Amino acid sequence: MLADVQFDVYEQAVVCTVTGEVDLSNATQICDAIGEATPNTALGVVLDLSGVGYLDSAGIHLIYRLRENLRARGQKLMLAIPADSPVQDSLRLASVTRHLPIAPSVEKALVGVAPPAASPKDSDRDTPQGEPAV
Amino acid sequence: MTTGSPHLEARPPGAGQVVLPPAASFLAPADQLRILSGLSDPALSEVGLEELLDEVLVRVQQALDVDTVAILLYDPETHQLVARAAKGIEEEVEQGVRLPLGQGFAGRIAAERVAIAIADVDHADILNPILREKRIRSLLGLPLVVEGDLIGVLHVGSLVPRTFGERDLAVLQVAAARVAPGIERARLYSALEREHRLAVVLQRSLLPRELAGVVGVGVAARYLPARDGVGGDWYDVIELPHGLVGIAIGDVVGHGMRAAALMGEVRFALHAYALEGHAPGRTLELVDRYVQTMRERPMATAAYAVFDAETGSMTLATAGHVPPIIFGPTRGGVIEVQPGAPLGAFPYGSCPEHQLTLASGEMIVMYTDGLVERRGTALAQGIEDLLTMVRGAGSAEQVCRSAMGGLVPPEGLDDDVAMLVLHNLPVPAQLRMHLAADPGTLADVRRVMRRWLRERGADDDDVTEITLAVGEACANAIEHAYSPGPARFELDATESAGDVTIAVRDTGRWREARGENRGRGLRIIDAAMSDVRLTPTSTGTEIVMHRRLRAV
Repeated sequence: MLADVQFDVYEQAVVCTVTGEVDLSNATQICDAIGEATPNTALGVVLDLSGVGYLDSAGIHLIYRLRENLRARGQKLMLAIPADSPVQDSLRLASVTRHLPIAPSVEKALVGVAPPAASPKDSDRDTPQGEPAV
Repeated sequence: MTTGSPHLEARPPGAGQVVLPPAASFLAPADQLRILSGLSDPALSEVGLEELLDEVLVRVQQALDVDTVAILLYDPETHQLVARAAKGIEEEVEQGVRLPLGQGFAGRIAAERVAIAIADVDHADILNPILREKRIRSLLGLPLVVEGDLIGVLHVGSLVPRTFGERDLAVLQVAAARVAPGIERARLYSALEREHRLAVVLQRSLLPRELAGVVGVGVAARYLPARDGVGGDWYDVIELPHGLVGIAIGDVVGHGMRAAALMGEVRFALHAYALEGHAPGRTLELVDRYVQTMRERPMATAAYAVFDAETGSMTLATAGHVPPIIFGPTRGGVIEVQPGAPLGAFPYGSCPEHQLTLASGEMIVMYTDGLVERRGTALAQGIEDLLTMVRGAGSAEQVCRSAMGGLVPPEGLDDDVAMLVLHNLPVPAQLRMHLAADPGTLADVRRVMRRWLRERGADDDDVTEITLAVGEACANAIEHAYSPGPARFELDATESAGDVTIAVRDTGRWREARGENRGRGLRIIDAAMSDVRLTPTSTGTEIVMHRRLRAV
């Protein structure tokens, strides 16, 4: 099993945690699964990639496609990727880092998706590192 | 050996029935006995029940000159007699006639264990309609008894009125005495056969159908049932996330279907906990907790190890299981591991973990005690023999072949045996891989690339970035490979004084980047590697790329 995907559905946001490796063989499936798991009522999705050890251009494509799909439904996407993650290397080599809404943790990414009051953890109100996609 | 001698009692017979006195004092005529004598042939106990019964019918029919002969076997579960073999009244068997004990001609013979003769069937209480329809006029029957247990009824019939006498009973008694133990043996044998066959099927279906193929790792396994049936030995190979491989072996004490079923339960529990990503010690502890909750708590042992082909490191834990052996070009021996308690042995048992590294080319052999346990020989000696046996083997498959060939005698073993071998395949310095153009192979390529790069002295950044670039080149080859047959592509990797050169050749045309998203693969390759060249070849496209390792 190359990767696993877990969903935590909160009232206003879905936190989707991917662990393992993401490549051409599973990127599309993961993207579709996230779309399926996100209710229309959610304000957006936090894609937690901190447990991902490998992400190729198909995985980057997944992020862009997911962002477009969500945008069409009026929903936001935030990525949770720590600075030392191998995913950061992929984004850097593909020169897409600055185009993507990235926060260093799920807590901070959630703030970017839902207003602080609606966030499941309201203790952490720092602004995310990247700008949320609107 | 006891005989089918009926106990005759002075009971009031039914209308027209005669309960015959003991026939022991009568001698059956010599020529009739000669016909029956073949029945004691010991070879009969080896043939199937059907053939044995058929033999009895023919000989009895001949010896007594009767029109019908039938054998009904007693089914202790339903307390019924089941028509099993018949001559002259074959319908009995075809229709699967079942008769209750205690009623009717055969039922009374069985329930009361007496021989009964009926001179005129029309006046008797015959339950079996087939006997009436056939217009059988006279009947003689007796119970088949082995060591005090009823196993059935043997009866003969005549279409012309005939008064069966004590001489006839004496002949039938000889036939019954000779054949009853044979029937019992054959029946036990076929029941065992059936149980054995079912257990083998069950065992097979509970073991992995094929071992997960992991590039860079050679795996082979064997399961051998015991001489007289399957047991609870098992093995498993688990493909874990992040390119890790789990290997497990175990033994649920016991034999037959029950052990096989329990084995399945324990194996699936371990497989599931392993997939959750738990380390070997914790995985075995969780299986232990699971076994504690099983209604029929089995005695079980297991060993579980997680292998990282990229680094050669292995984490191993055992729960009361014989320790695996490790061997390779430069060493060989038992892995000294502090064992955890057997599964389910006592509450909250813990399983310590042991770390080791498999050098390139080394193998680890997991096995169950059936392989090394010999009556009158110390276990350590058996393990020593195993080591000697497999020492020179060059592949995991060869290890299995040598061990099974050298340690299992031709007549089989008393205990069942499972073994599982993992071989840390050496990665050649000049790497050349031919791969199916399938996205599923990308993970394999990465695993081999990372290992190859580490063995060339690459640091973490080198490994991450070169692996990404190679992954992109391969993904492109897979997406664009085109050929009439199953599409393939190849990868060459060489290194000289810290300069890495990698070539990926496919059988399709490099597709120009379409849109912003599609160009990223090539952008990653360009950013990670230097001197990237894309060349069309006669069959497809070749991409050659270089990088100077920073640490070398």
